[in-house]
Amino acid sequence: MLALTEVRRRKLQFGFVTGVVALIAYLIIMVTGLGLGLYEAAGTALLNLNGDHLAYAANSNLSVIRSRLSDEDVAEVRSLPGAEAATPIGYVAAVIEFGPDESDTAAIIGVIPGSFAEPEVVEGRPIESPTEILVDRAWVRVAGTRVGDTLALPVGFETRDFTVAGIVDRGYFFFQPGMYVDLASWQDLVFQGEAMQKPAASLVLLQGRDLAGTRSENWRIVTKEDGFNNIEGVQAQQSTVDALRYMGLLIGAMVIGVFFYVITLQKVSLLGILKAIGAPGPYLVTQGLLQVLVVCIVGAAVAVGLALLTEATVLASDTIPINFTSGAMATSSISVVIAGVVGSLLSARQVASIDPIIAMQQQ
Amino acid sequence: MAILQLRGVSKSFGQGARRVDAVRDFSLEVDRGEVVALEGPSGSGKTTLLALAGALLTPTAGEIRVDGDDITKYGARARTRYRRDRVGFVFQGSNMVPFLTARENLLLVGEFGAGDRAALRRRADELLDQLDLIPVRDQVATSLSGGERQRVAIARALMRDPSLLLVDEPTASLNFELGTRVVDALLSEVHLRDKACIMVTHDDRMAQRADRLVEIRDGSVLSDRPLR
Repeated sequence: MLALTEVRRRKLQFGFVTGVVALIAYLIIMVTGLGLGLYEAAGTALLNLNGDHLAYAANSNLSVIRSRLSDEDVAEVRSLPGAEAATPIGYVAAVIEFGPDESDTAAIIGVIPGSFAEPEVVEGRPIESPTEILVDRAWVRVAGTRVGDTLALPVGFETRDFTVAGIVDRGYFFFQPGMYVDLASWQDLVFQGEAMQKPAASLVLLQGRDLAGTRSENWRIVTKEDGFNNIEGVQAQQSTVDALRYMGLLIGAMVIGVFFYVITLQKVSLLGILKAIGAPGPYLVTQGLLQVLVVCIVGAAVAVGLALLTEATVLASDTIPINFTSGAMATSSISVVIAGVVGSLLSARQVASIDPIIAMQQQ
Repeated sequence: MAILQLRGVSKSFGQGARRVDAVRDFSLEVDRGEVVALEGPSGSGKTTLLALAGALLTPTAGEIRVDGDDITKYGARARTRYRRDRVGFVFQGSNMVPFLTARENLLLVGEFGAGDRAALRRRADELLDQLDLIPVRDQVATSLSGGERQRVAIARALMRDPSLLLVDEPTASLNFELGTRVVDALLSEVHLRDKACIMVTHDDRMAQRADRLVEIRDGSVLSDRPLR
C-alpha cells in the first residue's frame, strides 16, 4: 500500500503532522472535558433530583438563589391535579471550615427526611435528626470528611455543629459540593433571627407529567432541565465552551488541510508521473485520504493517551472541573478525524486535478 | 506490422495570435522490435510527440493507432488503462517514487490494477536480474546512482509487458559511458521482447545506436533513415 509505505518511510514528516494533530485533538478533548466538568459542577445535583419539574417563586426569574416560596405556595403546588408527588427543597450556600485555615463553600440543600428529594446514601445512613447532614463525595474528595465527623455550619453569627450521617453521590449544585440537611435546619441556617415569617422552601420538587408552564401569581413550574439551564451562567458557560470546541475543530481542519495541501504540492511532479504510468486519479485520492485518516487516527489516539495521563496526574486532585468520559473522548476524537478529512478535501481536489502531462514537463 | 502509427498528427497550443503549432501533419510508423530515435533541437516537438503517443495529450488533428486501436478516441479512463497496460514510459532523470526500493518501484504498477501479484513479483525479479539490478533491488530509489535509476525506470516500463515503449531523454543526466550502458540495456530489452520503441534524444551518439533515426524540425519530419 503506497500511502502506508510513505507514512512508514517518512517518519519525521508524518510524525510531525501527527504530533500537531495530536495537540489539536488534545486541546479539543480538554475543552470538551472542561465543558462537561463545568456542566456537572453547575448543578448535577439538581439534575439528579428524583423529580420531573421544579416550582420557583414567580418573581425569582427561575433563580434558585432568589426563589422563596411560602407555606401557602408549597401547599398550592402540592395540590395541583397533575402533581403525583411534591416536596419542598431549600437552598443556601455556606462556607464550611474543615481544617485549620481550610474552608470551602458548599451548597446546603434542605429536604424533608424520607421524602423523594432526599438523595440515596452510598455510605452511612440517611438523616435521622435535625443536627445530621449528608455530604456529597465531591466534598469528601476536597475535605476528606468521613461519616461521623462534625461540620460547623454558620447560623446567623454563630455556628451549629452537624454530624455527618452519610455520604451521597449526587454531584455539585451551583459549582459547590452538595450537602443535605433537614428542611427545618435549612430554615434556621438561612433565616435565623429574622422576625418576619420564614419562607417554607426555595423550590418545590414535583413528580408528574405536563406540569411545565403551570403558574400562579406567586409561583411557576418548569421542567428540571429548564431549571438547570437557568442556573446563573450555565448557558453562557456552555456556549463559550461549545464555541471553543467548534473553533478548535475549525482550526484543526484548517491546519490539517494546510499541512496536507503543502505535502500534496511538494508531490505534484511525483503524482503526475504516477498518473502518467497508469495510476487512476481515484486511486491516488484514496491513498491521500488514507494517509489523512492514519495521521488523524494516530494523532487522536495519542491525544486520548495524553488526556488519560493528564487525568491521572494533573486532574487527580479534583480541583479543576474537567471531566473526561469515554463518550466525550470518542466524540472529540471522531470529530478531529472528520475535521481532518474535511480539511484535506482541498488536497484531494488538487490530486484529482493534476494533469499527467506534468510528468513530461518536469524534465 | 506497425505497432504505432501516427497519421497526419498535428498538435497546437493556445489560440489566435498565441497559437503555437508544436506538431504539424506528422506521420510515423514504428514496427515491432524497432527502436526509433527521435532527434531534434529543443522546441522541435519531440516531447509533444511522445506525449501524444502516450495518450498524455490528444492531437488537434490526425489519428494515432497502437496495435490497430485509435487511441485518440479514448476517454479518460481508457487513456489511463492504456498508459497502465499497453505503453511503458521511461522519463528523463530519476522519476522513481523516492521512498520505495527499486523492487517496490517495479511492483508499484501492480497496485494500479488487477493482476496476479505473485506473477508480478516474479516478473519484477526477472527484470531486475536482466538489468543487473539484483544487488540494489532493496535500496530506496534515492540511494541509487543515476544509471541504476534509469535501468530501474526501464524495468518498470516493461513490467506490464507493453507493446510500446516511450523513452524521453534517457541519458540526459548521465555521462557518456553510463548513458551508453542504459541505452544498450534498453535496446537489448526491446529487441529481446519484440517491442516498439521511440526514444527521444538530442545526443547524436545515443541516437546512432537506434535502428532508425527520425530528425524533426518545427514539429515536422526533416529526415527518416534506417541505421541498421
